[in-house]
Amino acid sequence: MQINKTLENEKMTLALEGRLDTLTAPQLDAEIIGPGKLDGIKELVFDFSNLAYISSAGLRILLTAQKTMNKQGSMLIKGANADIKEIFEVTGFCDILTVE
Amino acid sequence: MVFNFRGLAFKQSLMILASITVIVGLIFGVMTSQMNDKLTQMAIDNGEEISQANVTYIDNLFNSGKHFGEEVGATLSKEEMSKEELDEFLMQTLSNARSIVPQIVAIVVAFEPGMGPETPKGEFMRLARFVDNETKLITGANYQDKEWYYSTRDGRSSRWQEPFIGEFVPEPIAVYAVPIFRKDKNNENVLAGVLAVDLSIEFLKETVSNIHVPNSGYAMVFSSKNFPVAYPKAVMEGKKDSEIVVKEIAKIKQVDFDKTKKADNGLFLGTVAGGEESSIYYTTMKSNSWTFMVVWPAGKFMEERQNMIKLFIAMAAGGYGAMLIIILLISSRVSKPLKELAVAAKELGEGNFDVTIPDITGGDEISEFATAFSNMLKELKEHIEKQKDMKRIERELDLARNIQLAMLPGEERDENSDDDRHALAPFLRPAKEVGGDFYDFFKTDNDHLCVVIGDVSGKGVPASLFMMVARIILRTMTKNLKSIVKAFNKTNYALAKRNSLNMFVTIWAGIIDLRTGHVEFASAGHNPPVVRHKDGTVEFVKSKSELVMAAMEDIVYKQQTFDLQSGDTLFLYTDGVTEATNAQDQLFGDKRLLETLQKGGERSTAETCSLVKKAIDSFVQETPQFDDITMLAVQFNGSDEPVWERYEKTIDVSGKNKSELKSFVENILTPMDGAKKMMMQDAWEHYEKIVDVIPENQDILTAFVEGILAPMEGSMKSQMQINIAIDEIYSNIVKFSGATKVTLIVEVRKATLTARLTFIDNGIPYDPLKQKEPDVTLSADEREVGGLGIFIVKKTMDSVCYRRNGNNNELAITKTL
Repeated sequence: MQINKTLENEKMTLALEGRLDTLTAPQLDAEIIGPGKLDGIKELVFDFSNLAYISSAGLRILLTAQKTMNKQGSMLIKGANADIKEIFEVTGFCDILTVE
Repeated sequence: MVFNFRGLAFKQSLMILASITVIVGLIFGVMTSQMNDKLTQMAIDNGEEISQANVTYIDNLFNSGKHFGEEVGATLSKEEMSKEELDEFLMQTLSNARSIVPQIVAIVVAFEPGMGPETPKGEFMRLARFVDNETKLITGANYQDKEWYYSTRDGRSSRWQEPFIGEFVPEPIAVYAVPIFRKDKNNENVLAGVLAVDLSIEFLKETVSNIHVPNSGYAMVFSSKNFPVAYPKAVMEGKKDSEIVVKEIAKIKQVDFDKTKKADNGLFLGTVAGGEESSIYYTTMKSNSWTFMVVWPAGKFMEERQNMIKLFIAMAAGGYGAMLIIILLISSRVSKPLKELAVAAKELGEGNFDVTIPDITGGDEISEFATAFSNMLKELKEHIEKQKDMKRIERELDLARNIQLAMLPGEERDENSDDDRHALAPFLRPAKEVGGDFYDFFKTDNDHLCVVIGDVSGKGVPASLFMMVARIILRTMTKNLKSIVKAFNKTNYALAKRNSLNMFVTIWAGIIDLRTGHVEFASAGHNPPVVRHKDGTVEFVKSKSELVMAAMEDIVYKQQTFDLQSGDTLFLYTDGVTEATNAQDQLFGDKRLLETLQKGGERSTAETCSLVKKAIDSFVQETPQFDDITMLAVQFNGSDEPVWERYEKTIDVSGKNKSELKSFVENILTPMDGAKKMMMQDAWEHYEKIVDVIPENQDILTAFVEGILAPMEGSMKSQMQINIAIDEIYSNIVKFSGATKVTLIVEVRKATLTARLTFIDNGIPYDPLKQKEPDVTLSADEREVGGLGIFIVKKTMDSVCYRRNGNNNELAITKTL
């Protein structure tokens, strides 16, 4: 999986490419999860335009990130394909996440 | 229109003409022959008529001349006269002769040398001749070498000489010469001389010339040596006597004219003096052997005949032409409608059923044929329309049967009811007409297998529809109520409530406890099943048959029970089995069924069904199957082995699963072709991969599965969902099980696009199905991070099963691609 991270003042955009599964989740985990990783970020944007699918490992990271952002700003997921959106729906994540 | 020389009209005309030609030819032949005979007879009659008088006249003359000669000769033989006496005698005799036969012009007497009266040593010839109206006496000489003399002297007999022109009588004469004998001193007859009577034949020429012969004919007289004696001058103008010869044309002989036979008279074809062909009638005269002929030059005669033939031929030719035209007209009147019909038939053969049949009237065979043809076309059209209808109905029935069969579960794996404690095989062979038989099997929970067999009254689409409804209601009720009698009661109520057609269904259904073999069952008017015990004995299940379903709303069925021992086989069937009928109208019957099952011995369930099927087939032989033949065999094994736990997804008919339902329905509605039916029987393909339990091997497993599934061309989404499932399951194993090896078994069946993935790991017991499901309604802050993975798998896969088998965890997922 490829992660393109762009920082624009208080806005962080992560464009993901490939599969977000157990094997690749640690990469994303390393980018945003952990003490101080998202400090000062008010707007977190995931661009899923080039993401094929997401597994529970990825969902877990999204949930963690969402919890963090609930405290300090907003989180947005854009460009998710129908299959990923279906996973969000099945798991109830569509109610938690802001999916554009 | 091009004239067809091979057409019926021409052939027919030709044949008729040929027949006419033969007939006319025969008539012509007979007529010609008749005509020839007639003409011949006419010629003969004519010739005879003309000849008779003349021949008699000439004969009389010559006979008189002869008679006279004989008399004078006799006188001279008796008396020796002096020269004067002789002269006197000659004169007197000639005078006498002429008074009787005026044509006698001279009497001659000639002596052998020395025998005459005057010169004893020399010749003596004296003749009396009538010339210029007076009688003269002449002395002649040199007669010894004259034919008339020496032939008579040497022949010593009297006879008519060939006519000639005499030396002393210089005109054409016929001479009758008589020998004169005298007695010598020994009294022997010695030839003394010859007496000749000269008959002028000049008159003959005139007589002959004056004979009137009809049809341009004429008469002729020939001497005995065929010398022309008399003939019409005008006819023979410019011809010398020597040229006037009669020749016979042998090959056109009309009458047998054979001179060697000396026939007295006759008719023949010949030429006169090399002239034209003539019919000649001849008569041989008795007095002098001369021939009297009547000649009709063929010219006119033949010309008439020729003309007649020509006329005949012309008439025939004209008649032929006229006849040909008439026959052609008639024939083409006959063949034209035939040709039109042929054109119509050709068009019909090319598939144009709207072709117009020519309207042929006339009441003859052809109009009859045309009417029959147009009737045939009409019936053919109707028949084809009917066929089309039949085809459509047949297609619909086929579709109905497809739906019917597709709704029935095929094998246990498809139904997810398979486990090691039992084996099951269904069999349904539909009759030609859609029937109402059905069977069903499903699990109400992990340990309870429900088996159903039923038969809807009647046949055809109504029975088929009713059967499906009954089966689905019973299945749903049983799954929900988990009690066979409750399900029976509810199903009966539901079916009876709206049963305006008064259909009904017989059902036998039982729920088998796969742990104990205990069976709870109910029977709605259905045949009792058979149990084949492990020891080989066979018996009917003691089953009280209650009222058929859908008959009355408020029936309460009683629960009945029996127990299966390990190794027992329960055999369910419909009356299509026991009532299979052979040509002698005998039924297969209960006894044969029991015998077959007993004789069969221990067999797998599928073999048991096929054994019974074969027994039925050999019993009924060629007799067509009228009812569905349906069987279901369940063998109870009662194994102690661990059992799969099962999580089965139910299709949510609302909302987003519409597409799934749609494809399911489409699958059923698409009539199966032969190839697909074959594929349905395809075995599952089996693949296996063993990996060490390290996180990185997830990629290997994913690639392994993708490699198998990609060629099956399922949906991208299914593939992705399977990838996620692999991710979730494998990562769980890596994280929690402590296993060292993972075996992944991939089984696929291309025909149904089904995949089953079984993960076997040697880790600590871990049943993911037992995990508490996450509450998906909680807010983000309340949500736990765990438990999501298996939840996703359960939601996206068709089924998830788990069992602990020895030291291994076994987790199986199935998915339709």
